[in-house]
Amino acid sequence: MAGTDPVKGRIRCSICPAPSIIRFRDTDRQLCAEHFSANLKERIKKTISDHTMINPGDRIAVALSGGKDSTALLLLLTDIVPAYDGVTLVAVTIDEGISGYRSDTIRSAEKIAQETGVEHIITSFSGLFGKDLDEILKGREERACSICGILRRKALASAAQSAGAIKLATGHNLNDEAQSVLMNTMRGDLVRFIRDSGSDSGGCFIPRIKPLMDISEKEIAVYLMSMDRFPDLPECPYTRYALRAEVRSRLSTLEFRHPGTMRNLVTGKERLASILAGIPLGGAINRCTECGEPCSGTVCQTFRLIDTVLK
Amino acid sequence: MESERESVQVTMIVTLPDSSSHDIGEEQRTVEAILIRFGINPLEVIVSVGGTVVPENTIVSGDDRIRIIRIAHGG
Repeated sequence: MAGTDPVKGRIRCSICPAPSIIRFRDTDRQLCAEHFSANLKERIKKTISDHTMINPGDRIAVALSGGKDSTALLLLLTDIVPAYDGVTLVAVTIDEGISGYRSDTIRSAEKIAQETGVEHIITSFSGLFGKDLDEILKGREERACSICGILRRKALASAAQSAGAIKLATGHNLNDEAQSVLMNTMRGDLVRFIRDSGSDSGGCFIPRIKPLMDISEKEIAVYLMSMDRFPDLPECPYTRYALRAEVRSRLSTLEFRHPGTMRNLVTGKERLASILAGIPLGGAINRCTECGEPCSGTVCQTFRLIDTVLK
Repeated sequence: MESERESVQVTMIVTLPDSSSHDIGEEQRTVEAILIRFGINPLEVIVSVGGTVVPENTIVSGDDRIRIIRIAHGG
């Protein structure tokens, strides 16, 4: 049981006399900055180990938007990967071309890459697709997140492959994973519901790893704040169009009222995926007939977009 | 005498994510109670008191300066 300073109400760490910066609601445990940082690293190492995310000699591209999740991911991976022989990191940032938003986050990405000494590559939508996102979305703003998501996945894979990486690490956290479970359930998309982006796809997709998948968004923010590295950045102007924004808000309320909701959603999905393993669900990976890129149908989503919104 | 008493009166100031500041008196309460009063889900923000991050069950009072920072998203 953590102690409390009777005068100022400050709560002490459950392990040492230092002030607590976070309370774990399930166990009522309190941790100071130093013990929370150590706790976070150990849990991420366990996630990496449990899912065999990193092997000796891997060259890993770290998707670095400059926001809080990717900033924490890069900081934590630079600390963790030296334990693996020959593992190298390269940070990749996608400049979608979103006025009033992306230039600030790119500056933040450049700063953190420089401070960690990690090689940094920036790829732009305009360089890759001939138009920036603002231009692509004129009159289609309500489709912003789905269009951006498809093009950003393509841009990240392209940048990672150009950098010689064999894996792509993303900053997806527990909240993101739980939101995806709920969104895929709402859409009735069973294939996407159980698909594991890190699983073997016959060499078609660059495997993705999500070392922060067991860490909540709040924990990431507290970690960065305690290190004075919380990036004070604007929110993407297109967020308001996203289904995810609504799911995020409702799920966050449920998690507050019913602690463990997000974890239960992700655990339930993993159980179902393991039961359904090996059962064909119509999600075979093909090659796009137009460009040869991997896809689930006959023509890839990127080509369909290039054929419509990018012309 | 009255003006002297007023000049030493202590009060807590809460700064919300939109940068607005609110005087909430000096009565002690938890950070979580303050967040709920302002209709904020504690899972969507981090809170600092006097510049230091604190857990939501921290008791604040007197002249504490409480800053609420929204965990930005999308990017």
